[in-house]
Amino acid sequence: MTNLSEKPAVPASMELTFEVEQFLYKEARLLDTEEFHIWLGLLTEDIHYWMPYRYQRYRKNHVEPTVNDQSYYNDNMHNLERRVLRNDTGTCWSEDPATRSSHVISNIEVEHTDNPNEYRVYSLTTVNRNMNEDEEHLMVGHRTDILRRVDGQLKLAKRKIILDQNIFMNKSLNVFL
Amino acid sequence: MSNNTDYHQFIDNEEGWVDRRIFWEEEIYEQELKQIFAKSWQFIAHDSMIPNANDFYTTYMGEDGVIGARQKDGSVKVFLNSCPHRGNKFCFADEGNTRSFICNYHGWSFGIDGKLGALANEHVYDEGDIDKEKWSPKQARVDSYKGLIFATFDENAPTLDEWLGDFKWYMDMMFDNDGETEFINGGIKSYVNANWKFGVENFIGDAYHALWNHDSGLKAMNNGEGFGPAVTENSFHASVNGHGWEFGTDGYADVIINGSERWVEYVRDVLKPKIKDKYGELRSNIFGSLASVSLFPNISFLPGIQTFRVWLPRGPKKLELRIFTIVNKNMPEDLKQEVNNGCMMTFNPAGVLEMDDGENWEGNTAVNKGYLTRLEKLHYGCGITREIEHEELPGIIYKGQFNDANQRHFYTRWADLMNADSWDDVPTRYTPRHTKTTK
Repeated sequence: MTNLSEKPAVPASMELTFEVEQFLYKEARLLDTEEFHIWLGLLTEDIHYWMPYRYQRYRKNHVEPTVNDQSYYNDNMHNLERRVLRNDTGTCWSEDPATRSSHVISNIEVEHTDNPNEYRVYSLTTVNRNMNEDEEHLMVGHRTDILRRVDGQLKLAKRKIILDQNIFMNKSLNVFL
Repeated sequence: MSNNTDYHQFIDNEEGWVDRRIFWEEEIYEQELKQIFAKSWQFIAHDSMIPNANDFYTTYMGEDGVIGARQKDGSVKVFLNSCPHRGNKFCFADEGNTRSFICNYHGWSFGIDGKLGALANEHVYDEGDIDKEKWSPKQARVDSYKGLIFATFDENAPTLDEWLGDFKWYMDMMFDNDGETEFINGGIKSYVNANWKFGVENFIGDAYHALWNHDSGLKAMNNGEGFGPAVTENSFHASVNGHGWEFGTDGYADVIINGSERWVEYVRDVLKPKIKDKYGELRSNIFGSLASVSLFPNISFLPGIQTFRVWLPRGPKKLELRIFTIVNKNMPEDLKQEVNNGCMMTFNPAGVLEMDDGENWEGNTAVNKGYLTRLEKLHYGCGITREIEHEELPGIIYKGQFNDANQRHFYTRWADLMNADSWDDVPTRYTPRHTKTTK
C-alpha cells in the first residue's frame, strides 16, 4: 500500500487524469442515486475509508489525527457493508423518505506513486444534503485517495476525508463523502 | 415564567404526562440555565483527557464557557472562559497544553490556574486601577469520581458524593470494574436541533425505542439479526437524585451491539468474573446487558457499547452533543481500538444507531412550533404502577426496563430544582442505603 504522506509526485497524463475524473464522477453519481452495492464494487477488498475528527487546537499544540482516535469513519470493507446493510433492512426509518444528496467533485489532481498500479488523487467533495421538508446541510471535505488498477479497472483502495467543520453542524452524517 | 411558577405543573406522575412547553419555551429555558445549570454538578472532562500539568479542555456548563485545567500539583481548576475586561473568550482551542491564556482583544493573560496575570502594555494602568485577584475569572467548585471530573458554580450545592448518592453503586460497575478507565482521543462534537432533555431522557430510560427505532442499526452490527422480543422479567429502572439506569440482567446485548467478537469474549472472560468478585453476581449480570444511563442533568453513557456523552444546551431548540469512547486503561491496546471502532460505528454522527436518534429528537422538538400542538401533553405512563422494593438494588426501583419510570423521576428532579430557592427546598426522593446524606 502506498503511503499517503509520500512526497511527490509525477503528475499524471491527461489520459489518466481523465480516466480518474470519470471514475470519481461515476462514484459520485452512484452515491447520489443510492446504488450502494454497485459502489461497494468500486472499492478494493482492503479498502480503508477514513474520516478523522478534526481537532481545533492552537498551532503550537497541533496534532495530526490518527486511526487510533475517534473518527467519523474508520472503516474496512466489513464495516462499509454493515452501513449498506442498514439501508437494506427495510426498517431504516430515517431513510424513508429518502435523503437527497448531490456530490460535487472538484479540484482533482492525479499523481503517480512508487507503485505503478496505484495513483494518489486529491479532490474536493462538496455535498449538499437535503432531507425531510426543508433541512439542508452543506459539507465540504478534502479527500486524499489511493486508486489502484485491478484487472485493468480503477478501484478505490484508500480514502482520507478532512472535513472543514469542527463541530459537525448537523444531526447525522448519513451520506458518504 | 415568573420565579413563582410551580414547575411541577408541567409534569404529572399520577396521570403520567409531561407538558410539551418545557421543550420549547424560551422563558423555561432561561430558568433552566439559572436553576439547573448554574447549580448542578456537571461533567468537565475525564482525567485522561488532561493528564499532564498545563493540559486544558474547554467546554460549557449550561451556556457558560469554561476551561478545565490540570495544575502543577495534579489538581484541576475550572473557571469561566471570559475575560473580565470586555468579556471575550480568552481561549479558542478545544484542548491543548499551555502555561497561560492570553486574551486576543487587549492582551490580558491568565495563568493555568485562571488567575489574571500580566497585562499587555500594563504601564497604561496606574497603581490601584485594578486588583488582579478580584478581577480574575470566576472559579467553580471541582471534584471527581473514578476519573470523571465534575464542577459546579454553586457554593451551596451538596457535595459531589451526595449529588451522586447511591448511584455510585451502579457507576462502579462501569468506572471501576477493572482498575482505572480512560477516554480515547477525540471528543467529536455535533449539533442536533433538539431540546437537550430529549437526549438525556432517551438514555435515562428509553430501552423501548431501541426495539423499533434501532432495528436496522442492530441488524447492521449483528449479522442481520435484530433484537429478540422485549423481556420485561428480571430487568429494571433505577433512579437516584434524578440520575437513572435502565438495565437487563441477561448479560450481553450492549456488548454485542458494539460489534466486536473479541470484546464480547473479553467481557465474558475477563471483566464479568472481576465484577462478580468485586461487586457480586447481580452487577456482573447487569454489566453489558441492554442498558442505558444518564446522570442528571446532561451526561449519558452505555455500558458495553462504551459511548460516553454530554448534551450541552444551546437554546431550547438545539443541543451540542460531545461524544467520547471509554475503555479500561489496562485493556490491550488493539482491543481498545476495536472497542473504539465499534463505538464509532454505532454512536457518532455517522453511527448506524445514532443516525436514527437525532431524527426523532429533532421531530419531537420542532412540532412544538404549532401553538395547539405544544398545548397537548406527552404520555409518560408506561409501567407507572410497577414500583417495587428490591433487596439489592438501591434507589427508586421499577420492574421491567421497558418503562417510563426513570424519565418521570428525571422530570421530578428537574421540577424540584426549577422550583427551589435554596437546597433546603430540594427533597431527597429515595431512601439511601449506601450513602449518608445531609438531608
